Amino acid sequence: MKQVLIGLLLLMGSQLYAQSKYSVRGTIKDKNNGETVIGATVYLEGTGIGTITNEYGFFSLTAPAGSYELVVSYIGYEEMRTQVDLSSNQTLNFEVAESRTALEEVVITADETEKINIREPQMGVATLKASTIKQMPAVLGEVDVIKSIQMLPGVTQNGEGSGGFHVRGGAADQNLVLLDEAIIYNTSHFFGFFSVFNPDAIKDIKLYKGDMPAKFGGRVSSVLDVRQKDGNSKNFGLTGGIGVISSRLTAEGPLFNKKGSFLVAGRSSYAHLFTPAIEEIKDDKVSFYDLNLKANYEIDKNNRIYLSGYFGRDVFNISNFVENNYGNFSGNLRWNHVFNDRLFSNLSVIYSRYDYQVVLDFVKLDWIADINNQHLKYDLKYYANDSFKLDFGVSGILYQLNPGEVRPTTESSAINFLKLDQKRAFEGGAYVSAEHKLSERLTARYGLRYSTFSRLGGQNITSYENNQPVVYNEELGIYEEGEAIGETSYKKGESIKKFGNLEPRVGLAYQLNENSSVKASYTRSAQYLHLLSNTTSVTPIDVWTPSGSYTKPQLSNQYAVGYYKKFKDNAFSLEVEAYYKDIENRIDYVDGSDLIGNNNIETEILNGEARAYGLEVLLRKNKGKFTGWLAYTLSKSEQRSLGGNAGGPGINDGNWYNTPYDRTHDFSLTGAYKLNDKWTFSTNMVFQTGRPVTYPNGQYEYEDLSIASYSDRNSDRLPAYHRLDVSAIYRPNRKPDKRWKGEWVFGIYNLYNRRNAASISFNQNTDTGQNESTRLSIFGIIPSVTYNFKF
Amino acid sequence: MKASIKLTLILLSLVWISCEDPITVDLNDAAPRLVVEASLDWEKGTSGNEQTIKLSTSTPYFDTDILNDVTDATVRVTNTDTQQVFAFNNQGNGLYTTNAFVPIVNNTYQLEVLYNGETYTATETLTPVTEIVEVSQSLEGGFDDEILDVSIFFMDPEDEENYYLIRFIEEGDQFPTIETDSDEFTNGNLVDEFFEKDGDEGTQEEEFAPGDTVEISLFGISERYYNYITLLIEQYDSGGDPFSATPARVRGNCINTTNPDNYAHGYFRVTEVDVVSYTFD
Repeated sequence: MKQVLIGLLLLMGSQLYAQSKYSVRGTIKDKNNGETVIGATVYLEGTGIGTITNEYGFFSLTAPAGSYELVVSYIGYEEMRTQVDLSSNQTLNFEVAESRTALEEVVITADETEKINIREPQMGVATLKASTIKQMPAVLGEVDVIKSIQMLPGVTQNGEGSGGFHVRGGAADQNLVLLDEAIIYNTSHFFGFFSVFNPDAIKDIKLYKGDMPAKFGGRVSSVLDVRQKDGNSKNFGLTGGIGVISSRLTAEGPLFNKKGSFLVAGRSSYAHLFTPAIEEIKDDKVSFYDLNLKANYEIDKNNRIYLSGYFGRDVFNISNFVENNYGNFSGNLRWNHVFNDRLFSNLSVIYSRYDYQVVLDFVKLDWIADINNQHLKYDLKYYANDSFKLDFGVSGILYQLNPGEVRPTTESSAINFLKLDQKRAFEGGAYVSAEHKLSERLTARYGLRYSTFSRLGGQNITSYENNQPVVYNEELGIYEEGEAIGETSYKKGESIKKFGNLEPRVGLAYQLNENSSVKASYTRSAQYLHLLSNTTSVTPIDVWTPSGSYTKPQLSNQYAVGYYKKFKDNAFSLEVEAYYKDIENRIDYVDGSDLIGNNNIETEILNGEARAYGLEVLLRKNKGKFTGWLAYTLSKSEQRSLGGNAGGPGINDGNWYNTPYDRTHDFSLTGAYKLNDKWTFSTNMVFQTGRPVTYPNGQYEYEDLSIASYSDRNSDRLPAYHRLDVSAIYRPNRKPDKRWKGEWVFGIYNLYNRRNAASISFNQNTDTGQNESTRLSIFGIIPSVTYNFKF
Repeated sequence: MKASIKLTLILLSLVWISCEDPITVDLNDAAPRLVVEASLDWEKGTSGNEQTIKLSTSTPYFDTDILNDVTDATVRVTNTDTQQVFAFNNQGNGLYTTNAFVPIVNNTYQLEVLYNGETYTATETLTPVTEIVEVSQSLEGGFDDEILDVSIFFMDPEDEENYYLIRFIEEGDQFPTIETDSDEFTNGNLVDEFFEKDGDEGTQEEEFAPGDTVEISLFGISERYYNYITLLIEQYDSGGDPFSATPARVRGNCINTTNPDNYAHGYFRVTEVDVVSYTFD
């Protein structure tokens, strides 16, 4: 670690001699609303010196003294050119204006500028702007961040109506989902039908599919970085929409004499909207709402603070006998500080929490659980010179997990009070990462992250005979709970178990010519929290569990190579990436495990390994009346859990088996056609290999019932998933000076009414005694209409 | 209780605009296995001398009307505490019976089945059960406040871990409803279990009406059998719906000592059971 640091410093030092160089730095904002612009390109014409604005719209460039033409470009915005006389360090802020002729662009902004895109070693990253996401057809007209990223290569869903997303064959819990840097533990509303991100409050999202920058840690599959808007710092404005499921309203405007701005966004579904229409469920209440908040204040040109928050909740009440509510809460305070022309810093204090409650009236039981964390991080970026930039920082996260507390709801309840052990842990991280232009054609990014994890005391840890929480019963051929032989009590200050991991991240980009390049990367990452679930769908009551005495952290290695090309005057681009990854210590539950209310989860799981590999192709059209992309992925994702310490052959007789996220083929097409100023049409097409499932391979009679015997884990597949959606956006005549701007979005989801199987279940018909298979499909053809407005 | 939480999730999912329809699925058929339904249940107040063991083989999942009784096996049970041996007589229809069985609480019994030249064995201890102290009907007890339901009440013994199997069957019905319970959340308390038939379309069940008679059995079972039967019922009820656990192979306690891979389905259980009959008024 130390040597690497010294090495980096030496490298930097070597770049700092020679002719006098000066820096130009500043912030890029949108002229219209004052929002900072993330990912805009700033470069000096004809020099190859350039950069991209960071998450706060900040840039810094360094070049030898002289006269230059500085260009700011951002797709959909007019290019700005300014003469710069570099004879001293200077600050230049720019406001870019939306291009008049701008199409409703479908853009992946990380790749928007020819020079930088091809040169940057970052791989497997995709950025979507809120405007792009809003244009894609959505189920019931509910624009959805998570659904939109599932149109990208390497990203799949786990079936309609199930939460989360899967990146390169990874599980949903292997994604780090950040909303303004705060960890979001459950991205779903309505059990996954919709996601928690209100599109009106979102500026853009960035998905790292494996080649994660060293500043991110804690998950092995991907990082989804969602940034909220800062709020309009020029004028007060209202944005909103009325849809079939929910309505939205966002207010934003300047604060403190335009030195700051705020944004408050609310979204709420209509409870009772359609449940009363159906006789059987007329007493049921189903609803969700969320609230986003953001404010910022520019203290002076070197200091700016941001405050942001999110609160969301889902509430279900079924005929007054079952009540369930759950939601995320997060809050964060950030301080941007510019030390000098080359050193930018951000300090964040973050809190996030996810909790759920289930009240079962008929058994008089009340169940609550939560996970929360306090997070402190400090990130710095040093723009050493035109060929060397350094990112470094530290972070610390303190977790508290309350897996469950059961309470009787009435005096007469037969339920006893029960509290599962609270679990506590600390995760620390430090990183340094350099982006280094080695030659005109070759750029490298190399970094190292060191992560630590300490499972903290304040609970008892059960010890087992022969140190085996799970034991293979040789005779019966099944895994059973180990014999508990005692408990060790740990005090709050004590550490139960410690882990530390070095996570190197390396990337190389070699530019073949003006328009094409090849890249390669290697990423190692560690994950200390595991989400345990033995159900097909991610459900709100799934249990997060930290690594500790019996569960080791997941460690992944990912290797990727890619080819990138732009052609037809940048109207088209092609990205081809191949990856291989392996994950150590991927846990899986044993057959017949019972995870609900289990204080000793270790008795139900085996440590295993996972591997995934695939080829991804993304062809995009970025300009013209028709824009959009075509994505294809060919992949494999499997895992294996040997008996190990527990003895026996392991899960599935120790053979490799498909993960539920294995999709051999995954094809998506999304496109928008702008007919004229009034009408835009768009479409989605999806085809995916069916999800691996376990089907019966026989039946037998027991207790007068026909019992199915099941085959090997995930050895069968659901039928292929496919559908076609269309939508049309109508913008009535707008006078340029009129403030009210409205648009109608008409959509049809699943146009040819494909009954995609969310599951196929096998049951005995209780009238005839005959065995039957039943397909459950969630969304048939669904028309929708939404009205959006801006004021 | 846990089943209830799972049920909750299933119900919540059904609130949605989902749609169910029959579909044809091609399944891979496994080779037939012996199925042992050896339930030696000692009903309270009886001698427990008469016992039946049923043997059959498994068949492809969608097959109907198949002759799969095992009629050429030899079956016996040994009390390993007393060394008393009970031979079961082959009735020629897949049933093997005895009228000389002697049930002794907490004694261990061993089953031995000889079939196709292979020997299957299983061991189980006779688990006692507390008695049903009350049976009553109400409207409020179940899921729906407008439908009649029936509840049994029993006092869970505090000093030990208890596992229960509850079997409800209405007179004239072909299939029973089976539930399990453990005292994990209710140790030492007066516990109630309700049974209600919803008149939902789909199941075509008829709600309880005055005059209907149900038979309710409360079995004391071993922890291992509890794990087995709970999983079996859960998989039977859910059949692979998205909010339940992914279905898996379920192994009982019948081991093939000749060829371990060719294990038998089913279970050898030895229980005490309290049975009540209740007529709605």
